[in-house]
Amino acid sequence: MRRLLLIAAVLVAVAILAQRFIVEPPSGPAPVSLPDTAEVGLRPVTLLFPNGAGDRLTSEVRELPEETELHARVAVLVAALEEGPRQGGVRPLPAGTALLHAYHDETGLLTLDLSLPFRQGFRGGARAEELALGSLVRTIAANVPEVRRIRLACGGRPLATLAGHFPLDQPLDPEDWF
Amino acid sequence: MSRRSRAAGAAALVLAAALAAAAAPGGAGAPGAGSARVPAGLGVAWAPVTRVEGVPMLGANDLTRLLGASRTWRSDVRRMVLRSGGRHLTLTADNPFVIVDDRTLRLAHPVRSSQGELHVPVELVERLPREAGWPLLAYDAAARRVRVAPREGFVGTPRVAVSGARTTLEIPCERAEGAGVVGRSRARFRLRLPGALAGELPDSLPEDGLVRDVFATRSAGGVLLELALDPATTGFRLVADAARRRVLVSFTAIPEPGFEAFAAEGAAEPRPLRTIVVDPGHGGSDAGVQAEGVLEKSLALGLAELVADELQRRSGARVTLTRRDDRDLAQETRAELANRARADLVLSLHVGGYPGSRARGALAWCAPATRTPVAGAAGRAGGGREALAPLVALLPWREAALERAVESRALAEHVTAALERAGFGPAGVRERLPLALVGVHSPGILLECGSLTHAEDRARLLSQAGQRDLARAIAEGVLAWRQGG
Repeated sequence: MRRLLLIAAVLVAVAILAQRFIVEPPSGPAPVSLPDTAEVGLRPVTLLFPNGAGDRLTSEVRELPEETELHARVAVLVAALEEGPRQGGVRPLPAGTALLHAYHDETGLLTLDLSLPFRQGFRGGARAEELALGSLVRTIAANVPEVRRIRLACGGRPLATLAGHFPLDQPLDPEDWF
Repeated sequence: MSRRSRAAGAAALVLAAALAAAAAPGGAGAPGAGSARVPAGLGVAWAPVTRVEGVPMLGANDLTRLLGASRTWRSDVRRMVLRSGGRHLTLTADNPFVIVDDRTLRLAHPVRSSQGELHVPVELVERLPREAGWPLLAYDAAARRVRVAPREGFVGTPRVAVSGARTTLEIPCERAEGAGVVGRSRARFRLRLPGALAGELPDSLPEDGLVRDVFATRSAGGVLLELALDPATTGFRLVADAARRRVLVSFTAIPEPGFEAFAAEGAAEPRPLRTIVVDPGHGGSDAGVQAEGVLEKSLALGLAELVADELQRRSGARVTLTRRDDRDLAQETRAELANRARADLVLSLHVGGYPGSRARGALAWCAPATRTPVAGAAGRAGGGREALAPLVALLPWREAALERAVESRALAEHVTAALERAGFGPAGVRERLPLALVGVHSPGILLECGSLTHAEDRARLLSQAGQRDLARAIAEGVLAWRQGG
């Protein structure tokens, strides 16, 4: 019995030594994580939100996904305005407002076709309407420099007014808004 | 309107606690004690400061009044205790130690008894702990007064300085960030300053300056300074210096970068006012703003009726409403009605609502006076050109309101000033063509009279008395506009 135990101990010791010297860890450099080629870049954008007192726009810089195509560039801006400010101010666009289409012509005129909640969900007075329009056109002009004027449409149709206080039958010049 | 001030120089306002940064006016002496140049009704509660043994002192009776306290006097220990709410303040004759609630202050000079009354060194008013809830007092050394600071802060003595073509008013203001220009005409340049006027208006103004006169009126939450400017003034600039608690408003007679140009202004002569069109906003399926069960369309209609009554009674003009019931009304119909009536004036009345509860007050929108219509009735330019005007002048629909932009701007200024005076401010003017005036060939404004989402505004807008006051103020503004300017 003692002999069997001695033989077993010797075999275990041999096995341990064999694993150490025979099964070597793989040599060479440690694995390197490759960059994620699908990763989305971010870029800082300036968003202009109506302030709480309703007398001006306040700016907020936010990192948003970097997009190259015009529709996507404008869409992320509209979505950020619809989400509302993170640093004070009020949300200018009604919940559910989104960009349906964006057309940009050679004269710098951008036609924005927004979803129906833009008009149907708006509940403010003239002050709120003016600041909402200012917030939208100034934010787009600040981040899409090739835009000179903006015409608004809603649900695929021309928009005569947002809430009955200001005409939208002509393109808006961002420089006229606050 | 408060008293207008005339004499030269201005006083140094040294509000020890609140306005330490206020600069003293240059080259002018301080007014004598007892000067009553704070306009009646605008000033704050105050008490005179006298010198006892060379030390500026405040009578204990006056101190009691300013603190809104009651007092008890123990003659055996010559001690007076002032109580207000749960707070108390103990003064002992000939003793520099003053007990304020649970703390003891040692003053540089003792409390003195003079002419049968205790007198307290004014040093005490600066050392009363703010956080304990005592009213904030401030010592105005120039006027030799102690004043009660209002919750919204002080507005001090404006100082006027002239440098070349530029005239600058430097106004101490504790809440400078809240200052704003609410009227931009040369005849009545209006500046709203948050706080109570604790300083003095300048008694006179520099001969070579651009500011010809200064008035002050009470406004909602502040003071409205109204300046009459030289017609040569071309631009202005407002700097709200919150760090130094002051407001700088500069005027220039030459174009300068950073200055905002004055809009074109009409002649200062009376305007005809035979027909007025009052347009209640929205209606029918368009309810406008809705807040806590209140519909803007209904409120606007009720207000329009009150304004129409007020205007008819006070102006003698014929007043027409675009709608007298709850129905849809296209903008073209409203404009056509005003044009057919040959309105001398169009008021489109609205009530506001805002996503935040802080927005309040009145705003008037008018056609931009800085733009020239691309087409217009050339014959109206005056003089011999009338003979050359065609019999029928075609005017683009959208340009009609722009033709009357200057008068509209003046109307907006007058009405918002009247609203400020009546406490419906802050009131401002924006130059942006409102939909209600598209196609309207008359002077006109869209007036948002307050905000249904602001608690105070809503309470006033919904009360009968508030609506009457509002209608009266709007009519006041219209009548002032009729006088010209």
